[in-house]
Amino acid sequence: MRALIRFGKQPRLRFISHLDLQRFFQRAVNRTGLPIAYTQGFNPHPVMSFGSALALGWTSEYEIIDIKLSAPMGRKRTEEAIRAALPADLPVLEVRMIDDRHAAPMALVAMADYRVQLAGESAIVVVDQIPAFLAMEHVPATKKTKSGEKEIDARPLVIDLKPTSDGFEARLMLTERDSIKPELLIALLADMAGVEAPQARIHRLMLLGKGPDGEPAPLMTL
Amino acid sequence: MSLSDRIENLLMSVQKPVRYMGGEFNAVMKDADAVDVRYAFLFPDTYEVGMSHLGMKILYHAINKREDAWCERVFSPWVDMAELMRRDGIPLFSLESRTPVREFDLLGITLQYEMSFTNILEALDLAGIPLRREDRREGPFVICGGPCAFNPEPLAPFVDLIALGDGEEETLQTIDVYKWWKASGRPREDYLKMAAQIPGIYVPSLYDVQYNPDGTVRGVTPKPGSGAPEVVRKAMVNSLDDAVYPDKLIVPYGEIIHNRIMLEIFRGCTRGCRFCQAGMIYRPVRERSINNLMSMAEDLVSATGYDEISLMSLSSGDYSCLPELAHQMVEKFAARRVKISLPSQRIDTVLTDTLKETQKVRKTALTLAPEAGTQRLRDVINKGVTEEDLMRSVTDAFEQGWSAVKLYFMLGLPTETDEDALGIADLAEKVRRCYFSVPKERRAPGLRITVSASVFVPKNDTPFQWSGQLDYETVVHRQQLLRQALSRVKGVDFKYHAPDVSFIEAVFARGDRRLAEALERAWRLGCRFDGWSDQFRYDLWLRAFEETGIDPGFYATRERDTDEIFPWDHLDCGVTKAYLLREWERARRAECTPDCRKGCTGCGVKRYPGACEGR
Repeated sequence: MRALIRFGKQPRLRFISHLDLQRFFQRAVNRTGLPIAYTQGFNPHPVMSFGSALALGWTSEYEIIDIKLSAPMGRKRTEEAIRAALPADLPVLEVRMIDDRHAAPMALVAMADYRVQLAGESAIVVVDQIPAFLAMEHVPATKKTKSGEKEIDARPLVIDLKPTSDGFEARLMLTERDSIKPELLIALLADMAGVEAPQARIHRLMLLGKGPDGEPAPLMTL
Repeated sequence: MSLSDRIENLLMSVQKPVRYMGGEFNAVMKDADAVDVRYAFLFPDTYEVGMSHLGMKILYHAINKREDAWCERVFSPWVDMAELMRRDGIPLFSLESRTPVREFDLLGITLQYEMSFTNILEALDLAGIPLRREDRREGPFVICGGPCAFNPEPLAPFVDLIALGDGEEETLQTIDVYKWWKASGRPREDYLKMAAQIPGIYVPSLYDVQYNPDGTVRGVTPKPGSGAPEVVRKAMVNSLDDAVYPDKLIVPYGEIIHNRIMLEIFRGCTRGCRFCQAGMIYRPVRERSINNLMSMAEDLVSATGYDEISLMSLSSGDYSCLPELAHQMVEKFAARRVKISLPSQRIDTVLTDTLKETQKVRKTALTLAPEAGTQRLRDVINKGVTEEDLMRSVTDAFEQGWSAVKLYFMLGLPTETDEDALGIADLAEKVRRCYFSVPKERRAPGLRITVSASVFVPKNDTPFQWSGQLDYETVVHRQQLLRQALSRVKGVDFKYHAPDVSFIEAVFARGDRRLAEALERAWRLGCRFDGWSDQFRYDLWLRAFEETGIDPGFYATRERDTDEIFPWDHLDCGVTKAYLLREWERARRAECTPDCRKGCTGCGVKRYPGACEGR
């Protein structure tokens, strides 16, 4: 049996790296008192995986951790135990018990929703580029990857984009092959406006996968 | 914009923002309006260093157990952060609530090593607190404790109180007295006079220092009418089983130096190594009972989720029932995948078999500290270890699959000769032979021997407090001599560093009040994080001494007469000066003094009620 947990990352903890968060959760699950399943070998560690790494500096209300249990456990008890093991700035928002055959959350992630808040005077002109961006068929862009730079077409990676009072909300592709980060989208819009990219606060609203008919669906419901 | 938001804005631009983040699991949050006393605890180094320190964890817990007080943590911002804080006018703040330090009632600072002194001035300045006590009309009282508190004189103008000895009780007493003082509405100076009555509390401003024409101290005496004691005795907790110990520990997000549960199994050491300040000032030995340790471990594993427990003390192999403790620990925690480790190993206390079992997974380097290269010099320093002990330990380790050995030595010990320095290379060669004496099929491949030689710093409250530090040129000469000799031993990596830092450390370890000028000047010239080799500026230190007219050699390299009055003589660390002098004289005759578990050596700590009971 596995526990699928959705948790948030509050502003105070936005500078914890993904690696540090992984280490943190290894200790956190130890103190839940739940029957946690461990890997075999010299240095056993809890069997767990994350939905998608959150970049340094971002906040979120849709982080997923998947923890394997070695014995059946009720949803409510699991939720209470996890909540007690996490600090207030990593709030537990939803818990679902799934069976071992359920696909790993990482494999299900297809896109993500973000809220982007822009600061400074250039914010308005950047947001004003949104209709023009959406009207374009192709938006060539250079994406920085671990192995160097890569030329991509950013337009199809932006599924949805709508302005808000201080920035925008966007639904962006997030698969191993096709993905775009909010920062790159901000940079493209700023480029179109002919200004420097403004400072941004990025918040992940949701991770989504594809439902039975290929329609976008919140990851926790899949 | 709130202070918290202004801090947030800096974090994107600094290295390791986790250092300033707070919000860790088990960090204590309270309602600031619901407590009477707010206590800021400053560890004057980085977060990673400070969060590894056991004393801070104990006092944090002791204070926060009280409903009327809230203790928050403060660490020295790294230089990048300090620069941004100054640029944006952000004052030094606490981690828990991000409150400016200057708004606290009490500011406790731990003095772990002399080379953090400039960080204390930097912290006060960043906090917006005037450096000198006489310039402060408001803001927190500054209280310093920790090992360096036994000679706090170079810090005298900057601090209000010095807390000597065990902090568990005296820290709480400083809070109680603070509450009385605050309720009384009396002037600021009165808190100092009231606090001077607390056992273990020394108030430097209530004492006058007189000097002799040759620059030595003639006396340190309480100001008439101050009511301060002539000699301040350290605070002592008689029973560790009755002393407060955390049942929760803050679990940091980032990696810190020691990221595990620390269980203090006993305090104090009976060995009597003559160079070791900790071995003197933490006397007497007080052990925690196995039952108590087991229940503490249980609580802490549940509260933190750590998978490692470190059994801490100055010499853990000396715990009287170590095999039994190790056995019970391993039995209880193995199923929960919690490893048990012993950090400080001595050559002559062999690891118990139980622990060997648990340590099978990780064969990191075996660390041994013979300290000196010849038997004569080991007798001088009373390191009760023979070459046979060392060879037995390493052979044993090689047979069990270790192939890396780290050997720690000191250069510049009293009476040391070139021959003693070369003895270190001899030992390394013999260790190498031990490895090859183990049949090839039974030893792990790839022998690595690391020889580290630090430069000896004579410390106050040790038998070597009369000794001069070896002069710079001779230290360098012996380092090179040893380096050449070790280059002929295959597979040895030699680690040493310039004697610069050790020289400044030696100046302050046995310094007096006049050094405060040089300290402040050095800080104004830009010295801070002096314990970090990439930050240490020897040139600025020398300039600071020159500009303040202070001869650093007077403090570091001068051998003292046996009848000299020291700047710290009025602070009683438990052992008597007469005992230390006896040991100094025995040292010069290369005579050993046995471990006092084998019979009292008359160190003087028995003068304290309840000390050494049952021994």
